[in-house]
Amino acid sequence: MLDKLELQSGFTRRWLLDSPMMVRDEEIAASYDVLHRFDTFVGQVDKTHLDTVLFKLQGLKDIRTTIKNLHNQAVLDDIELFEVKHLAILATDVNKLLMQHDMDGVVEIPTLDEVISILDPDGMKIATFYIYDSYCAQLKDLRVQMRQHPEQQDDLLLQASELEESVRKDLSNQLHPFAAAIEQAQLALARIDVNLAKVMQMRQMGLSFPVLSSDGVTRYEAMFHPQVKEALAQHGRDFQPVDITFGEQPTLITGANMGGKTVVLKSLTLCQLLFQFGFGIPAASAQIAVKDEIYFCIGDEQSVEKGLSSFAAEMKNIDAVIKASRENKIIMALIDEPARTTNPTEGAALVSALLLVLADKGMSLVMTTHYDIEPGRARCLRVKGFENGSMDYRLVEVQDGEVPHEALNIAQSLGIDSEWINTARNLLETCPQ
Amino acid sequence: MDCEGAMSVFTAASGNHCVQGVPFINDILQYDSLSIVGLEKNTGKTECLKYVLDRLPVDTKRIAVTSIGIDGETVDQVTRTQKPEIVLREGMYFGTSEAHYRQRRLVSELIDVSDESTSLGRVVTAKALTGGKILLSGPSSASSLRRWMGEMQQRFDIDLVVIDGALSRMSSASPAVSQSMILATGAAYSANISTLVSKTAHVVDLVNLDLTSESNLKSLMPLDKGLWFIDKSDELHALDAITSLSKDIHFEGMDGCKTLYVAGALVDGFLEKVRKNKDLKHVELVVRDFTKIFVTPQQFRLFIKAGGRISVLQKSKLIAVTVNPTSPSGYVLDSDTLCAKLSEAIGLPVYDLLKNNECN
Repeated sequence: MLDKLELQSGFTRRWLLDSPMMVRDEEIAASYDVLHRFDTFVGQVDKTHLDTVLFKLQGLKDIRTTIKNLHNQAVLDDIELFEVKHLAILATDVNKLLMQHDMDGVVEIPTLDEVISILDPDGMKIATFYIYDSYCAQLKDLRVQMRQHPEQQDDLLLQASELEESVRKDLSNQLHPFAAAIEQAQLALARIDVNLAKVMQMRQMGLSFPVLSSDGVTRYEAMFHPQVKEALAQHGRDFQPVDITFGEQPTLITGANMGGKTVVLKSLTLCQLLFQFGFGIPAASAQIAVKDEIYFCIGDEQSVEKGLSSFAAEMKNIDAVIKASRENKIIMALIDEPARTTNPTEGAALVSALLLVLADKGMSLVMTTHYDIEPGRARCLRVKGFENGSMDYRLVEVQDGEVPHEALNIAQSLGIDSEWINTARNLLETCPQ
Repeated sequence: MDCEGAMSVFTAASGNHCVQGVPFINDILQYDSLSIVGLEKNTGKTECLKYVLDRLPVDTKRIAVTSIGIDGETVDQVTRTQKPEIVLREGMYFGTSEAHYRQRRLVSELIDVSDESTSLGRVVTAKALTGGKILLSGPSSASSLRRWMGEMQQRFDIDLVVIDGALSRMSSASPAVSQSMILATGAAYSANISTLVSKTAHVVDLVNLDLTSESNLKSLMPLDKGLWFIDKSDELHALDAITSLSKDIHFEGMDGCKTLYVAGALVDGFLEKVRKNKDLKHVELVVRDFTKIFVTPQQFRLFIKAGGRISVLQKSKLIAVTVNPTSPSGYVLDSDTLCAKLSEAIGLPVYDLLKNNECN
């Protein structure tokens, strides 16, 4: 999703990648309030205005090193002074463009007029920079001489460079008190860039604004997985959206192979992360509970050589979930077919025990399995499954965790060798366990 | 300009009045970009750049100068000899690296700092407020060079971008992105006049290869690697082999192949295979630009003689060739003979700029 975010500035991307996940309700709510305002803004302004803002944001550069130097009272060189001036003018321009459309204060951009006037002694209001003649009369004289006597240029440049350095020192001192404001302006522009990109992504991919859940229950209507949906669309097929609700108790999803169980888990993980990073949600409607930590365990390395090690890695991952559940944290864990790589007797025991252990920890656990196990206090959902030659990917609530026995039918529909499938059928009939 | 015309210009230039109406300056101004390419170190590329920059009308035209890659280091990476600085005139724009900007010996106004980093820092763009010296080092990839040129034209209304265009393996940026070109050759390339003439003529032949058709341009331009062909119904297909360097290239299943595109380097072995394949006799062979052709003059000639065609996706108009008759080892060729022979061989004006300068 991040790759598909059309950010204007490389700095914004770096900043976004460094941002921590939001875990407080108010923080997330505030972030969506801001996103709402940008959504209204994008809906209202004409395309040229929007393009102007986006074009301006392309000029946002990563000047963190320069700002750090300014904080540390170092003397900035010409390139750094240029960067500061460029940013100050950019921030002022973008602020003006947003204010024209009732966006003042949505993202706080500090006023940098003084910074601009320090770096723009001639009031030209253009984002270029050099040690201007008007900073120093003596410097001006030297430059006049340079033009008149090019043969003395090297000597004159040497004299000028000392004067220039003292001007730089003076400018750096003047700018030092504004270091924090400049830093804030840079971040504000990145936030504007992110918000505009998020709004555009929402419109392109049909994402929706989520609502914060107050009762710990997460509800999705018509949830989809954008990547899978796009891949299907390329083959002229539709993604069948899924409705799902879960609270702070374990939820067990069973269903036939190829029933989209893993896609459901992946979508749930994606939605939760998008929510806690303040993105649009791939669902018709979404009411989401905030979590402190999100665990996604997918034992997907299905190679023979890795049989043991993938089991070990999976056990360690789930172990981390159990350990975390004993701390006082609100946790969501999504576990895809745990213990799938070991023998079914012990595997089923491990999965049943996992449900029992995690049942009273107040965590949102969504787990898929092929094992026939006692659900205990877990809610059971089942993929509707293979009907009339096609797969119905919707989830229905069932009373027990009994797994559907559709593997042979599905294998048959894939055109798998009939001798093999029929022999399996006979074995089941003569010896059902 | 025909051969005879070229000769008379040359004769005039080597006479007593040479500065006024320098012929190729007017030719340069017909285009929005110029690259100056040296065929070898010490063939006078920097002299040529100086010569051009000294004579361009800065009062009426906005001119920007940059270099491809790291060719602007103070000390030449290969020969460890001191590298010359470029003298810019007041009002000229230039793109160079941060490191070299800090060493500038002129007063200049910063107008842009790019996001792209080179080994010498980011590329900065500035305008010279006084004349003076600068070390040039610019964008190091083809796409960043093209982007820089585009920005100069669109954002800063630059009329002419001049590129110090090394034919360097260190840089993936190709001088062929410019509309026009001057080649600098000389005794450093070969100390024997006839060898020098034939080697230079070969490069000139490559620079002058025709541009491919509009429709080919459209479908091939975005492909930056691999081998491709276009069939009679204008459909594009990828060839199994990844580069033309592969030993076992089979031209099978290429029925109705009309155009064969080599995105990377074109080498002798591949060209020979194409020539010897009966099915590919009338195929148009397309390469990105002349810098991608690494074939010997012999193979090239054989291919053309056999009726083969090679065209390019980007092409610069070759305006002139300059010569430096002095080799780094001190050997000096006869300037007049060299100019005359070369001009005759390539049908273009040839100048010995140092000699021209001497007569000022």
